[in-house]
Amino acid sequence: MSDLATALVFWPAAVLMLVTGLYVFITSSMARAGLLLLASLGIEGLVFLALSSEFLGVLQLLMMSGEMVTMVFFMVMFMPDPGGLMGMDMVHDKRRSAAVAGLVGVGLALVAVLTDWPARAVGTDAPDVRAIGFEVMGRSMLTFLFAAMTILFAMVGGVLLAKYGGRYRIGAPAGEDRGGEAR
Amino acid sequence: MSDLTPLAVFAVAAAGAAIVGLLEQLVAGVRPAPLALARAAAATLRQPLSRPDRRDGWLFHLAPGLLLIAALGALAFVPWAPGFRGIDLSTGAIAFAAALAYVTPAIFMAGWGAGRPLAVVGGFRWLALMLAYAMPLAMIITAVAAPAGSLRPTDIVEVQHAVPMALVQPLALALWLPAALAVCFLPPFDLPQADGELGGGAFSEYRGLDAALIGFAQRILLVAVSGMTAVLFLGGWQGPLLPPALWMALKTMAVAGLFLWVGRRLPRLEVDRVLSLAWKVANPLAILAIAYAGLITLLFYR
Repeated sequence: MSDLATALVFWPAAVLMLVTGLYVFITSSMARAGLLLLASLGIEGLVFLALSSEFLGVLQLLMMSGEMVTMVFFMVMFMPDPGGLMGMDMVHDKRRSAAVAGLVGVGLALVAVLTDWPARAVGTDAPDVRAIGFEVMGRSMLTFLFAAMTILFAMVGGVLLAKYGGRYRIGAPAGEDRGGEAR
Repeated sequence: MSDLTPLAVFAVAAAGAAIVGLLEQLVAGVRPAPLALARAAAATLRQPLSRPDRRDGWLFHLAPGLLLIAALGALAFVPWAPGFRGIDLSTGAIAFAAALAYVTPAIFMAGWGAGRPLAVVGGFRWLALMLAYAMPLAMIITAVAAPAGSLRPTDIVEVQHAVPMALVQPLALALWLPAALAVCFLPPFDLPQADGELGGGAFSEYRGLDAALIGFAQRILLVAVSGMTAVLFLGGWQGPLLPPALWMALKTMAVAGLFLWVGRRLPRLEVDRVLSLAWKVANPLAILAIAYAGLITLLFYR
């Protein structure tokens, strides 16, 4: 794309991405929060595309749809007020979380600005691309697999902890508090 | 990257609409008030923040549009003849899957936004179904792209000049066809709407133009998916005697016809059965298909 076209896509998309990202934490409905996050990350994919980072953009668009939709699924399942009809709040412990978020944001911005990014253009046949491929599929494979399994265990564990015995406490030991809907 | 200019056209459209708004005020002799326009835009943008009274009507009205955009986006990556395609990306095959991925949130939004029990059930069914089928779909695209050594659809067509991929990778085709049919939410995979059991399901509350848009988007999806099936497995526009575009049209119509014919003759599948088939059979087989694709690529395509 020409510089003008890039700018025309980049700036509105970047602003919209930040706004929708902010909305995620202000809205009260779980479905809205998840879908707004999808909108934010999908628009980020468009920003990548505008910056000629084609593969990254397409992959971002593809992966985020599946992931955010899964998240909506879990959020609606676990939250006590998924529709936001009673006006639930996405944010807790506001002062401390704002401080942490501010610090992390400033830190990341500093990294982005202060890092000495390489300025040369890399073509598709460049040795770097090949090197990244061998790195990902070779030495780093074990790390990736380990991370993937850890995330999977965390997800399964989270479901088990949150839904001990399921909604109707099926299989819970006798005499235990039969909370939730079975009460 | 000039093929991504459509995005810039959207940006121009948004800016142009705002400027026309100002011109209207100017022509009408009213003092131009850009702030009023900005306030109107901000009110629209604030809508997601208002607390829903009974349902997320905002999502409900956005869903048909998103569905149409996803269908048109998918169609744009299908090459119809040499030099005749909407958007030419070096990652076109994955971009096609990325466009299809937005059918899932669209139908979920339709069901959830309607705020009726059967519609919500339809939306959630669709989520579960598509999460199970999106992965085989993407994996099969990888498997088919491997012999071409490229994710560009035109390259995938070129590599099939001798043997169509359907004969080289029959397992991939067998996994692709049901997943592709499921993406179009056509019978026997019409689980989100399921007229017999959910009474329209996720789309039960749509009337008039919205309902028409959904039907339109579904047909476009069928064309896009059938076209991509022809590109990935049947050699695309390649064939003797007839002009390329005609070959492509014939193959696309044949696939679409097959999809519709199967849908007429099979009963609607049960949700839990489809899900267990997808997770326990289709996904592992898709990994197998990738391994097989790697093998034949190393043996015959280098």
